[in-house]
Amino acid sequence: MLEKKRTVEEINEKIKKGDVQVLTALEMKKLVESSGVEVAFKEVDVVTTGTFGAMCSSGAVINLGHSDPPIKIQNAWINDVPVCHPGAAVDLYIGATLMSETRPFEYGGGHVIEDLISGKEVELRATAYGTDCYPRTQLRTTITKDDLNQFYLINFRNCYQRYVCATNSRDETIYTYMGKLLPRFGNATFSGAGELNPLMNDPDYETIGIGTRIFLGGTQGYVIGEGTQHDPKNQLGTIMVRGDCKKMNPKFIRGAAFTKYGTTLYVGIGIPIPILNIGLAKKTAVRDEDIKVPIVDYGVPVRDRPKLGVVSYKELRSGTITINGKKVKVSPLSSLKTAVEIAETLKKWIEEGLFYLTAPVERLPGDTEFKPMKQREKAFLVRDIVQKAVTCREDEEIKEVAKKIIEYSVNHVVVVNDKGELTGIVTSWDVTKAVADGKSKLSDIITRKVITARLEEPIEAAARRMVQYQISALPVIDHQRKVLGIVTSEDVTKILGR
Amino acid sequence: MVRVLLRFPEKIVNQPIIAQVLLQHRITLNIIAAHVDFHGGNVLIEVPKEHVEKAVNAFKERGVFVSFPKLIEVDKDRCLNCGACYSLCPVGAISIGEDYSISFDKEKCIGSPCGLCVDACPARVIKLTKELNLSVLSDEERGSN
Repeated sequence: MLEKKRTVEEINEKIKKGDVQVLTALEMKKLVESSGVEVAFKEVDVVTTGTFGAMCSSGAVINLGHSDPPIKIQNAWINDVPVCHPGAAVDLYIGATLMSETRPFEYGGGHVIEDLISGKEVELRATAYGTDCYPRTQLRTTITKDDLNQFYLINFRNCYQRYVCATNSRDETIYTYMGKLLPRFGNATFSGAGELNPLMNDPDYETIGIGTRIFLGGTQGYVIGEGTQHDPKNQLGTIMVRGDCKKMNPKFIRGAAFTKYGTTLYVGIGIPIPILNIGLAKKTAVRDEDIKVPIVDYGVPVRDRPKLGVVSYKELRSGTITINGKKVKVSPLSSLKTAVEIAETLKKWIEEGLFYLTAPVERLPGDTEFKPMKQREKAFLVRDIVQKAVTCREDEEIKEVAKKIIEYSVNHVVVVNDKGELTGIVTSWDVTKAVADGKSKLSDIITRKVITARLEEPIEAAARRMVQYQISALPVIDHQRKVLGIVTSEDVTKILGR
Repeated sequence: MVRVLLRFPEKIVNQPIIAQVLLQHRITLNIIAAHVDFHGGNVLIEVPKEHVEKAVNAFKERGVFVSFPKLIEVDKDRCLNCGACYSLCPVGAISIGEDYSISFDKEKCIGSPCGLCVDACPARVIKLTKELNLSVLSDEERGSN
């Protein structure tokens, strides 16, 4: 039997005549389930997809036009956000993750882009070294999007096909690009639109490539190639996109702030998948239960973070997943509500003849690899610098502890129980203070809320924690809180300060 | 019902104050959240509106610091409907609807003693704000939260 096919030209002809059949990806899945792939292929010309999530590798290029006298901008700020200067004279790139110097972690490049798209006036400051042709060295003005020549979103990495589920094994809350993660697997987060994600509905990138016209931020934009870190073999494809910000709708392009991580941009993307062959009809029927992602421990800040299991988008959507036998609530970070709205909007545009499909000039590569960084130096772990800890029991006298401090020439004595588990810490300062205050019971001076480290952590992470809590040593413990040793700021400095 | 936050300082934490207030003033109250140790305690209670004044005065007389918790206020127009807040809520006051929109149940929210969702919001639309302006507390006490 010959495989039945339709072409992009035929679909565009139908759009023109007003009899194109478009379904959103959610509708397509239901149709395939109820009537089968054959019927779905016969009846449906286009399936629309959508996603709306934080996409950090986003930004906009703007051209300001020339000032008089002209300036070749060296450094520039918009609303106090330092904006990179990637080209000559008056072109700037507003990266979404660049942060305001006066309101860091709250306002950044993503917000500048949103404000400009919303029609707000923003303040521009610039400095330059001055040349014979560009004599000006200082500039201060206000601008709106109407004052700009070009204002284009150019995002290097958007629309991840799927993404991991994040959780945290540490004893403290951590703030990551995957959101706020509570201690001891207190919650989990995930991102992505699952069965509605554009690349997930065309996983072999048969119809998506350079020149594919898409929904981008509320207007029509284009795929300009594979995104950085595109990793097709692992179903982690990404795309690079471009779109005219002046025509965008701030509902689908929003600045955002992740506490203690930084700022970003929520980007709305929808891609129409032309159902050119029966294989595509089948692929667009992919369900959340078929899309699986690893559960990853973000509490361990290394490149290859430990994986704690595998979970499907269906389970993630249920609001609760199981980690190490415990029920854990899970938050989506991207909005499925807006993703659905994007797929529906794109469907309407096509039905109304406002949007025509394009065949890619060149398809996305299917064989690129995402390599780790080439490094010349070895990464040091806590394991490499851990020392034997000087320990004591809670019922020892302060005098005994003072003797240990002198004998071993240390500043920290770790308090353990019979099983060698961590119960507290005493410093030489605590002992000195006890003498000054006339205290004699060790239990009165023990610090019980101890900040700790793990053997497999990079020493940078341990150093960061010492700075954060203003302390100079961390007992190293295992998952049963058994004391394995201690790392001190002196030892860390010896390595990091080389 | 009105939410009231009680703070028991260390020197009175070992006294059965809640029981005394209940028995003496014959009021009803519901404990929503409590954290008590030998350094003191924080207890969030819910009191029928008509008993608020009596309850507040009775607790204050016994050396308890009384305040009204701030409740969350959400700017729904600016909400991204992402759900980043959902897994942080310990009392199930945040839910994801059939149409994937996020909703907040003010009745269930325990407000300022918790506040875990506030800094998890990428759109910064969740704020803790004062709901009540009852005359039982002085301006200073209202501002103490």
